[in-house]
Amino acid sequence: MAMINSEPEVTREYFLNLGPQHPSTHGVLRVLLKLDGEYIVEADPIIGYGHRGHEKMAENRTYKQFMPNPSRVDYLSGFIYNHGYVLAVEKLMGLEVPERAKYIRVICSELNRISSHLLWFGTFLMDLGAFTPFLYCFDDREVILDLLDSITGSRLTYCYCRIGGVAKDIDDQFIEGTLSFIKRLRSRWTDYHNLVTKNVIFIHRVKNIGLITKDIALKYGVTGPNLRGCGVPYDIRKAEPYEIYDELDFEIPVGEKGDIWDRYMVRLNEMEQSCRIIEQAIKKLPRGPIKASGVPVKIAPPKGEVYFPFESARGEAAFYIVSDGTEYPYRIRIRVPSFSNLQALIEVLPGTLVADTIAILGSIDIVVPEIDR
Amino acid sequence: MPLDSLKNSIEKKCPEAKVAESDHSKTGWYLDVAIPAEKIVDVTETMFDEMYYLEAITGLDFKDGFQVLYHFNKFKTKERIVVRITTEKGKKVPTISSVYSAALWHEREVHDFFGIEFEGSPDMRPLLMPEDADFHPLLKEFGKVNAYLRMDEIYGDDK
Amino acid sequence: MAGVMEHVLGNEVGRLIVGLIVVLIFSQLNALFLVWLERKVAGHIQLRIGPKEVGPFGLLQTIVDGLKLVGKELITPKRADKILFIIAPVLVFVPVLVPFIVLPFSKSLPLNDMNVGLLVIFSFSTINVLAILIGGWGSNNKYALLGAIRSVAQNIAYEIPLLLSVLSVVLMTKTLQMSKIVEAQSSYWFFLVQPIAALTYFICATAETNRAPFDIPEAESELVAGFHTEFSGMRFGLFFLAEYTNVFVVCAVATTLFLGGWTGPFGYSLGIPGIIWFLAKTYLLVFVIMWFRWTFPRLRFDQLISFSWKVLIPLALANLIITAGVIKLI
Repeated sequence: MAMINSEPEVTREYFLNLGPQHPSTHGVLRVLLKLDGEYIVEADPIIGYGHRGHEKMAENRTYKQFMPNPSRVDYLSGFIYNHGYVLAVEKLMGLEVPERAKYIRVICSELNRISSHLLWFGTFLMDLGAFTPFLYCFDDREVILDLLDSITGSRLTYCYCRIGGVAKDIDDQFIEGTLSFIKRLRSRWTDYHNLVTKNVIFIHRVKNIGLITKDIALKYGVTGPNLRGCGVPYDIRKAEPYEIYDELDFEIPVGEKGDIWDRYMVRLNEMEQSCRIIEQAIKKLPRGPIKASGVPVKIAPPKGEVYFPFESARGEAAFYIVSDGTEYPYRIRIRVPSFSNLQALIEVLPGTLVADTIAILGSIDIVVPEIDR
Repeated sequence: MPLDSLKNSIEKKCPEAKVAESDHSKTGWYLDVAIPAEKIVDVTETMFDEMYYLEAITGLDFKDGFQVLYHFNKFKTKERIVVRITTEKGKKVPTISSVYSAALWHEREVHDFFGIEFEGSPDMRPLLMPEDADFHPLLKEFGKVNAYLRMDEIYGDDK
Repeated sequence: MAGVMEHVLGNEVGRLIVGLIVVLIFSQLNALFLVWLERKVAGHIQLRIGPKEVGPFGLLQTIVDGLKLVGKELITPKRADKILFIIAPVLVFVPVLVPFIVLPFSKSLPLNDMNVGLLVIFSFSTINVLAILIGGWGSNNKYALLGAIRSVAQNIAYEIPLLLSVLSVVLMTKTLQMSKIVEAQSSYWFFLVQPIAALTYFICATAETNRAPFDIPEAESELVAGFHTEFSGMRFGLFFLAEYTNVFVVCAVATTLFLGGWTGPFGYSLGIPGIIWFLAKTYLLVFVIMWFRWTFPRLRFDQLISFSWKVLIPLALANLIITAGVIKLI
């Protein structure tokens, strides 16, 4: 599939770099396009501009020292990755976490998911040319960031979950703030639907474009809202429930065809489902300790390996940890959903127009630092 | 159990496979299949026919060889499988990109990090490393590491 | 002093020269004002305020930005066509100034009330497209070339329904002279009898000026910056100012043709001088065009072209035929 041959021929087709610096590739991504006029003949995403070596770092740091890293892998769902890492280590050690900590972690994870989807919504529409929803979404997202800031201390990359629980307890201010935010977000749905979802120009830009079918999803390992857009109701929170997701009542929105419209509607509905989860979790929040008792100071899980998947905002992410009994992991492998989702574009993009490329790239919601790790 | 039919098809295609059941609550997968490196394409074809998707390909560096793990899963519950192959350093592994196109990038990444050659792959350019890099960073001999063990030190003696 | 002024203004050539100077000053001030207006409108639609620091309400922000642009280095790409690269910004700005000579600001104010005023305006607005193409080609940049090609196709496609809708009005007034068109609307404004032509004209005008939702040629999120990717400093500034002046001209023409120019509603001027009516209506239309930009997403290029060829042209043609038929019968 290497397209750059050594002999230049005079052809109708030409190469265009959707270069590393581009306003709408979300991160430092380079897509080498072979174009025939405005139609794409071949697409080759080239990544690696942001490779930071997280997996090598993991072999030189203890489990506790590695804790800030997962947030920075995918900074938009940073809390979810932090949560997932802590859960993977707890599974390896066989630790039981108190109920209150579980509920707090789920509430914050779902808030993080909403904020990630809101940002996706704003940037996706900005790619399509509508500049205004971006600011409305950031206005909403500001509330979430302030809420999470008040208990965790950080706005974007979190290190709040600890092996055995959480670092600090939440207070009533946080709970009231969350409930009022959910009310405010629900009042925004009408705005978003009236101005965007029912807009004729928008509908013409997204319907029947960028079809990711079930076959492509199976071949490439596509997960998350991209998979649910083509009709497969697979969500790790329902398939392999962790924490308290099996005690909460929520649905998995699915699409039909797998075009951009379906993925868009799936994400919007997912935000509503996350609101439901948060409300139920707040209602059921028990009292109790927030950290497990008897957690050793030196975290040295027994020898073995664990593969722990969790549902990040973009799809199925997973931590695969091999432990050799010491406090330094032998190997940590981070499976990121955007890696597989982006690869699917190699098959989806040919035949589309350049303008559609931008829309499709925006709709699969990739975060390039996550791919590069 | 649906996994029994999978066990049978794997053992039919590859009699040398060592299929072991695994405790999901401890490790996260249900079946652990260890096969010799040459049979990986056959077993992968079985997985593809049974509608599994490739989650990840992981490389592991031990003193006495490499291990390459293929994590498979279905779009349903309770079906995660791990297929392991063990190779010596310097030997090549056949590519499965003819069956799963997802393997292209995963194999490129494993090659970048460990130097394992996947023969038959149409594209072995570096994925995450720069094009002119001549080192493989995740090898335990590269840079500073904490432990460099043999396989039986982690798995016990049964793998 | 007053005697000199009278002598100059009495003379035909003197009047022309003074008028040209006034037109230049007005068009520059207008462009600066429109940039400020756009940023304020954008800010308020997006739940923020826009510029407010520099000058009262941020009014001097544009001047300061212009000074910054003047101070920037003019970078020419290595293999760009030097002559074309230098001409393009100038060529895009000059034809936009010419229509100011014939715009009927008030009863006595069109600088040179030619009897082919409308024709002058539309023939000079097509040079705009030429300038964009020269700029895109001369930049030696694939993105700029793509942007320029798209702009040419878009302008050609939308020029036709524009002219057809204008023709409907001309059929009614039987003259191309701008002041006579305004006088013909002294009892009622034309958009009441030609709503389809008014709507078509307004849509095509937005497309002609490359404004959203038709701003494919300079699509910020797709082609970096479209045809003016490589222009830096004041060259970019000239493209930018030319676009806003073009918006003003197009809205002024819409006011003249459909909203009655300097006349008040149904002929009652309500004591307000004609020029205020004219400017108020024009700026209202400019505000609507700005409103479009911050509300709608962008159309894809082929959808844009097919919209023009398959919807607007038949509509404008039908309108023309009906107008011709009605005029013949009455």
